[in-house]
Amino acid sequence: MSGYIRICEVEKYYGNANNVTKAIDRVSFEVDRGEFVGVMGPSGSGKTTLLNLLATIDRVTAGHIYYGDTDITELSEDALSEFRKDNLGFVFQDYNLLDTLTIEENIVLALTLQAKSREEIVEACEQILSLLQIGDIRDKFPYQVSGGQKQRCACGRAMVNHPRLLLADEPTGALDSRSAQTLLETFTDLNRQMEATILMVTHDAFSASYCGRILFLQDGKIFHELVRGTKSRRVFLQEILDVLSLTGGALSDER
Amino acid sequence: MNDRNYGKINRTLCIRNMKRSMKDYLVYMLTMALVTALMYAFGSLIFQNELEQIALELEGLMGMMVGLATFFIMLIVAWLINYMVKFMLEKRSTEFGIYLLLGMKRKAIAVLYMRENMLLGGAAFVVGAAAGVLLRQVLMAVMSAMVRMEYQLRIAPDGRTLLMTACCYGGCYLLALLRCRRKFKKMNIHALMNARRCNEEIREKFEQGKQILLPLSVFFILLFWKMFGRLSDTLQTAGFLIGLVITIYLFYAGLSAWVICYVRRRGAAVYKGQNLFLLRQFASKVRTMQFTMGTLTALFTLALLGASFALMFSDYENTVLEGKFPFDVQIYSQNIEEDFAREKSVIEEEAAVSAYYPYHIYTDEENQVNTWMLTHLQAWGAMYRKADGTPDEAAIERTLLDENGDGTYYTYDTYMGLTDYNHLRELLGYEQAELSETEYLVQIKPRLEKEVQGIGEDLSVRNAAGDGFLTCAGVRAEPFSQDGHNGADYVVVVPDAVLDRMRPYYTELVVDIDGKTPFGLQKKLEALQPEEDPYAAGHVKGDLCCGSDTIISIVELCLVRENLMPSVKYMLATMIIPLFYIGLVFVCVAVTVLSVQQVSDGARYQYRYDMLSKLGLSRRAIERLILKQLTAYYLCPALLAVVISGRLILFASDRFIMMTGVPTAVGGFFGKSVALFFGIYLVYFVVTYVEFKRTMSSVVQN
Repeated sequence: MSGYIRICEVEKYYGNANNVTKAIDRVSFEVDRGEFVGVMGPSGSGKTTLLNLLATIDRVTAGHIYYGDTDITELSEDALSEFRKDNLGFVFQDYNLLDTLTIEENIVLALTLQAKSREEIVEACEQILSLLQIGDIRDKFPYQVSGGQKQRCACGRAMVNHPRLLLADEPTGALDSRSAQTLLETFTDLNRQMEATILMVTHDAFSASYCGRILFLQDGKIFHELVRGTKSRRVFLQEILDVLSLTGGALSDER
Repeated sequence: MNDRNYGKINRTLCIRNMKRSMKDYLVYMLTMALVTALMYAFGSLIFQNELEQIALELEGLMGMMVGLATFFIMLIVAWLINYMVKFMLEKRSTEFGIYLLLGMKRKAIAVLYMRENMLLGGAAFVVGAAAGVLLRQVLMAVMSAMVRMEYQLRIAPDGRTLLMTACCYGGCYLLALLRCRRKFKKMNIHALMNARRCNEEIREKFEQGKQILLPLSVFFILLFWKMFGRLSDTLQTAGFLIGLVITIYLFYAGLSAWVICYVRRRGAAVYKGQNLFLLRQFASKVRTMQFTMGTLTALFTLALLGASFALMFSDYENTVLEGKFPFDVQIYSQNIEEDFAREKSVIEEEAAVSAYYPYHIYTDEENQVNTWMLTHLQAWGAMYRKADGTPDEAAIERTLLDENGDGTYYTYDTYMGLTDYNHLRELLGYEQAELSETEYLVQIKPRLEKEVQGIGEDLSVRNAAGDGFLTCAGVRAEPFSQDGHNGADYVVVVPDAVLDRMRPYYTELVVDIDGKTPFGLQKKLEALQPEEDPYAAGHVKGDLCCGSDTIISIVELCLVRENLMPSVKYMLATMIIPLFYIGLVFVCVAVTVLSVQQVSDGARYQYRYDMLSKLGLSRRAIERLILKQLTAYYLCPALLAVVISGRLILFASDRFIMMTGVPTAVGGFFGKSVALFFGIYLVYFVVTYVEFKRTMSSVVQN
């Protein structure tokens, strides 16, 4: 089978027989190894639902999601735990760090779950702390550091195991513009230096402009796709804004 | 695979989580420590009760009563632990979602959570057990003082008590945690991750219809106030009590619906101050917690009942009991020729006797006084009266003349000569009574004084010659040992000459002891009595009769005051202590649930107060708002419990006062237990308010 991650005819319905909401409606696409994919769309378009399905947080109503040859829609709960541990990393808008552990311990926890040796853990942790430039706050607790630092710690925790896919849900949503830019540069570095495959859901065109490819979602369906290719980020941002104004314009014309 | 590192970080996580929980649920931790301390202190009475030697016939009674109380306490503690373990689990749902996201298995999370809780429980247990060892000393010292024994301080933990406490406590924890495992199995990562974002779910359905539950509940409670006490049989009473339990639970559904409808109707109060916020807050909290609120009300009711009953017995012990044994030693004999030679020799072996005074109680072989008592005393109600108010001769005959009467009154009326009477009064330090040859007086138990004021008008006591009647010179009501010895409830005192036409009924010996009465004299005197137990086969005609004391009656052929007093006090303690124990634990458990709920909500819904602050409400106004919110929430179950238990306690107090003669007003026990209850309540309330304000201070601007 080809494709690093394949999403095939995925559907997700909510509600009951009388009141069905199609959150995701027959969506199919592929993500290649080392890609940095963005998912954009207005509120309620199904972005987070799609991310949750890929993240095994939620289950599909119909369709399949393949990571290589593994169809995660067929896995049991325990197998999914194993799968998440080995293949996925998460970064959320509200960081989701464990407040009783220090910044370093939050990263170490992810490594210890892999039952790695002490040397491996120390080495991997040092590497990621230095890559993300959070070594100086390693002994601090989450409440003692800024939002940007928390989010970089979340990135470190997500990436330290070299997951097959890093899933980010509005990662810049709670950050100021400077911290947001630093984080997006971190994602780019992770993508380039560690060949991390990233799927990021965002509202923000500026954040999306860091991606290599963008899927536009509306009413649970993919209605457009943009590929950055060799274009500069500035040009790509303009293209994104054009697509967004197109959807916004269509709505305006109706009024 | 290298599990060592995982184990290490897991331990760190476990200990840090435990420390955080300790801080977040401080009130719960303190209550658990307190419950452990109480469990240890009271539980020790089962295994190491030095006081049992004073009442060997009651051996094991205290253990049994405390064991019974511990059983009920365990049920409630298990409920509290189960509630808290579930509560903490829900509050930490996002955190568990993160563990799942990181790839931790459900089983591993369950083990982590269980370990944390075991550590948490263990910490509370250690603190509680240490406090329990000290509390036991206080308890034993109080009990020893109660039964007039010297207590020697012995601060050493008892292994068996510790083991029992650990088993009770650990059992409750394990049960709650095992129930939690099922929850972990059903964990849904999506729901867990979203739990924090969810607002409090307020399902408003059929509110209009549900409103009716409030007036219905109020009506039932009013009906209960009116009817309770008049209910004639057990079935009716049981029906009413079941109705009451249902009412307690439905009351909150009705209250919440009523408040919601009031807000919807835009009632006038909605537009005053922050009432809209308060009313909505209150309605939604009562709605989501209606079952818990019902349970808390039931617990408060039981606690108030427990404390009131304990106060009743305690009051009896402090007031009435002192007058029950006015003589150093008093012995009864059915034999009118008894010279008490054996008894005297036993007493002389044991103590220095300052005086003996043997005398007879006489009878005229009639029962006009007995009949009067049976038909006039409140204790008997209408049992011995016909519908038209005249004496029910058949019923009276059954109780007085039957071979196996009920042991209330002697078959015939009891009389005493004035000389004997005055001699006994002199021994007791009372002033002498004076009677002319044409007078008699009635000596009665103190509690019956008011009830028998009219007795002289109805009695016809013949004079010495038998050709005329004596007149009543009054009623005396000093303590006079009238539980069968100097008559049952009463003795009619007549001039000595009148005794010539009567026959001696039974013999009494009163002994005045010089100095201290030795321990165990009672037992030695009892050993002289015939082997067969006269009470084993029911009351036998001619035996000692105890009068109308029904709640606590002390029927002994030999009364040795210094031996009996501690023994009876100990017996009362076997009731007082478990009742206080239950009351105390129930209040603490219920109030902990209220407190934890509020403090935790304060942290969860900080944004509400943040929003109010942004809307321009000053810090002081928000603090007042929090105070009002907490007051409403705290008072709601407490007031309902006070209203419900009030009826039961007032009824029971009325009966208790009537039956025992304690000199307390009917509302006294209720008032004291409510004061005690609100004292504990206030402590928890203040802790919750301070904690709530502390949580708010980070979000609310000055």
